[in-house]
Amino acid sequence: MTNSIGDIEEADCILITGSNTTSSHPLIADRVYRAKENGARVIVADPRRIHIAHIADVHVQQRLGTDVALLNGIMHVILEQGWQDQEFIAQRCEGFQALRDTVKQYPPSTVEEITGVPAQDIERIAEIYARAEAASILYCMGITQHTTGVDNVKSLANLAMLTGNLGRPGTGVNPLRGQNNVQGACDMGGLPNVFSGYQQVANSDANNKFASAWQADLPDKPGLTIPDMMAGLEDGSVQGLFVLGENPVMSDPDADHVGKALQKARFLAVQDIFLTETAQMAHVVLPGVSFAEKDGTFTNTERRVMRVRQAVDPVGDARQDWEIIQQLSNRLGYPLDYSSPQEIMQEIAGLTPSYGGITYDRLEGHGLQWPCPDSEHPGTKILHQERIARGLGLFHAVEYQPPAESVDEKYPYWLTTGRIYTHYHTGSMTRNSPTLEREAPEGWMEIHPQEAQKLGVSTNDRVRIVSRRGSVEAAAFVTEDINPGTVFISFHFAESNANILTNPATDPVAKIPEYKVCAVSLEKAA
Amino acid sequence: MIEQVQQKVRELLEAGTIQGFLGLREQNGHIGPYLFQDPEDLEGMSLGDRERPGDTRYPLSKLLLTLARNYPQASLGILVRGCDERAVNALVAWNQLDQDKVVPVGLACPQELAEECECERPYPEDPVAGKKTEPVAFASVARLQELEPSERMRYWLREFDKCVKCYGCRDICPVCFCRECSLEDQHLIRTHNLPPENPVFHLTRAVHMAGRCIDCGLCEQACPAEIPLRILYKKVGQIMEEEFSYHSGETTQKSPLQIADNQ
Amino acid sequence: MEYKNILTTCTYCGCGCNFYLENLDGSLTGTIPCKTSPVNEGKLCIKGWNAHEFVQSDQRLTSPLIRREGKLVPVSWEEALDYTASELSSIRSEHGPDSLAFLASAKATNEENFLFQKFVRAGVGTNNIDHCARL
Ligand code: SF4
Ligand code: SF4
Ligand code: SF4
Repeated sequence: MTNSIGDIEEADCILITGSNTTSSHPLIADRVYRAKENGARVIVADPRRIHIAHIADVHVQQRLGTDVALLNGIMHVILEQGWQDQEFIAQRCEGFQALRDTVKQYPPSTVEEITGVPAQDIERIAEIYARAEAASILYCMGITQHTTGVDNVKSLANLAMLTGNLGRPGTGVNPLRGQNNVQGACDMGGLPNVFSGYQQVANSDANNKFASAWQADLPDKPGLTIPDMMAGLEDGSVQGLFVLGENPVMSDPDADHVGKALQKARFLAVQDIFLTETAQMAHVVLPGVSFAEKDGTFTNTERRVMRVRQAVDPVGDARQDWEIIQQLSNRLGYPLDYSSPQEIMQEIAGLTPSYGGITYDRLEGHGLQWPCPDSEHPGTKILHQERIARGLGLFHAVEYQPPAESVDEKYPYWLTTGRIYTHYHTGSMTRNSPTLEREAPEGWMEIHPQEAQKLGVSTNDRVRIVSRRGSVEAAAFVTEDINPGTVFISFHFAESNANILTNPATDPVAKIPEYKVCAVSLEKAA
Repeated sequence: MIEQVQQKVRELLEAGTIQGFLGLREQNGHIGPYLFQDPEDLEGMSLGDRERPGDTRYPLSKLLLTLARNYPQASLGILVRGCDERAVNALVAWNQLDQDKVVPVGLACPQELAEECECERPYPEDPVAGKKTEPVAFASVARLQELEPSERMRYWLREFDKCVKCYGCRDICPVCFCRECSLEDQHLIRTHNLPPENPVFHLTRAVHMAGRCIDCGLCEQACPAEIPLRILYKKVGQIMEEEFSYHSGETTQKSPLQIADNQ
Repeated sequence: MEYKNILTTCTYCGCGCNFYLENLDGSLTGTIPCKTSPVNEGKLCIKGWNAHEFVQSDQRLTSPLIRREGKLVPVSWEEALDYTASELSSIRSEHGPDSLAFLASAKATNEENFLFQKFVRAGVGTNNIDHCARL
């Protein structure tokens, strides 16, 4: 997030898009409720009538994958009415003319045709957002998990810059990170092209710095992303895969295909706390420990680094994950000799400028938000306060592109996927929690009453859902909260794994798969 | 103020009157619940005032219940404000705690906190620290009472509609002691979707609070949907008072909804 | 009677709520939201309130496993680590470090992820490391 969680309360307008906030980030929804109480206006743009839409001043249900068109339409109105922040644009941004030329092509009437959102709603959103003192954008996977995910995010940034809603309390473009430490895993260099702190492996200064600190020659060619790893397993260029605490068989798109790729691995090792669907395929399984059995830190969506503390002894023979990694490294001839996670954090701080001032002692109390470059620095609540990090904010003129897969005669329904309030990710933790499992023991498919009637199904009836990649069965849940023509399932349940259906087509830049849109057919199951 | 409490607890621990004392302690830069068993630990004790009086209250009597269920023979001390003492009394009345095994150490709340809570009894029977202040009436209930019934219903339906079904109101509540909870009965309240069925989820809980809620306000503070739950349950308490002259937690006397013949 | 409350950070979503885990005689008995947390201010969602429940589940992995005749069977740590290291080494020496790939984890701590990428880059000699950031 560019801003902080608490800071959401300062907003006069909150635009929520592609985030089912009350289910996936309930404690951020809390801040939205508080802001609303203080008089903020809430705009929700989501293909489903999600729970937070109940308090919205304007709620629009754009067709799946039409976000860029909708956002361009909103900017069209803003420019037409002269509601842009000319001073902010002139002083802190570049590329404005190109943006202006592009969004000119998106008058509300055209956008209505693409998105299905009435022109006057587009005008209202433009007015509420642009005329607010401080407007905040909250978005999540509904924006990023598309073949146009990067374009979607750029469009949100365009909208914020156009109206000067950046770098002040109550503003910002705020991604809500899905998993608890996805921010930290990126910050720490769990990516093929960067070391910790986003220092490029291909940059010779950075590479030399790490090489000398670690006393090793380091490869400088960026490595493979997950989709490339799967392709490598299939063509034999990748022979071995080591998985630390993830479950790609459940979580990756076109799951059947992923399963087949993993079967080709000459060697598959999985380090996890449960025998996940992926671990079941492994040659070796190494039992690590849960968050409650370890010391360390997590970094949340507002860049706040916070302590995780060991509350209980590990179960059975399960071992600290950092010790397992260290013991493997020793056996591979690269000795590591840390005595505790705290000692690892000292090295992180030494090599990672944005974590430079972080120590366990300083994390007592409220933690620290990075960038925190030195031991005196109080941490950073709001990014881009004086200037945008890269110097000038660059507008990106973005054209609307339809999703990779479209409905047709054979697959006439749109399918979208997401979380429900009681489960998390592939379910390995929540489904082993009796209270949570009792609350929702199976996956449902949400469907509009009109369509349900056509298919002759009612709530609880089993439905077979078929895409170009596979098929699953789920119980129907008939609800008006979803548009006719579209159905929704959650992705937590192995018995009805949504990702058997989803499309592995990815965004060309970020390689994020299009989880949020694919085409399916439906039939009542016997 | 804290010295009196520390002194009292030290005496109880050293005399062996109690095996442990449930209170609050500062650790890791936060104030949290703590079981004092060693008098040395009393050093870091807190009364739960961080920025404002009583802003870090925890459901200590609920934690006491966990310990008592596992160690029925142990005598335990507990830090009690007015509401905590009412909670202990209610748990005794509902056969959850053995009064002889609980040793309360009382703390009276300052006027500021009593006002904020609209507390009718902002002190325990016999405070070791603090001074008994004036009771405060339920003005928030009265304000809502002025609305037309249909308008009032709309108000509550709108509030309940925000619920994210965390069950936090139940989980934090010192007098929610049932091992099976009606809120999880799928025949009564359907699961899977947000918000939970409205208003049956909330009214089920409200009904179950009759004769039990001791007005601590912890549920409202724990509610991530910012629903003014305390007002709802204050109303339940008011009905109990008007209809049955019963004030839960004031004594360990049983509720008329529990056993009819309780004179 | 050994009863402790340990302050920690939630393992589920990116909000990062703080709560106390209740440990009574070595068992986790409950979760209590931290009132003074800047993130959650004494509130939690249903996942957070029940975050202690899976930790000591009888479904947890309690010993290393190696596949023998198609089945995963329990083995000692020494054996599991030796086997893993020798498989990784032999693939590396036959096909080079880039024939190995590693998935880091959005559920692991910063320290674990940092150490893991150090191991992969410096110890194995490849940049083939990625994680589910995109999910
Ligand atoms: S105020 Fe809320 S938490 Fe306290 S006793 Fe009443 S219902 Fe329970
Ligand atoms: S605490 Fe609030 S949000 Fe949670 S279940 Fe109770 S009323 Fe609903
Ligand atoms: S308690 Fe809920 S909202 Fe808070 S971090 Fe955990 S999953 Fe997220």
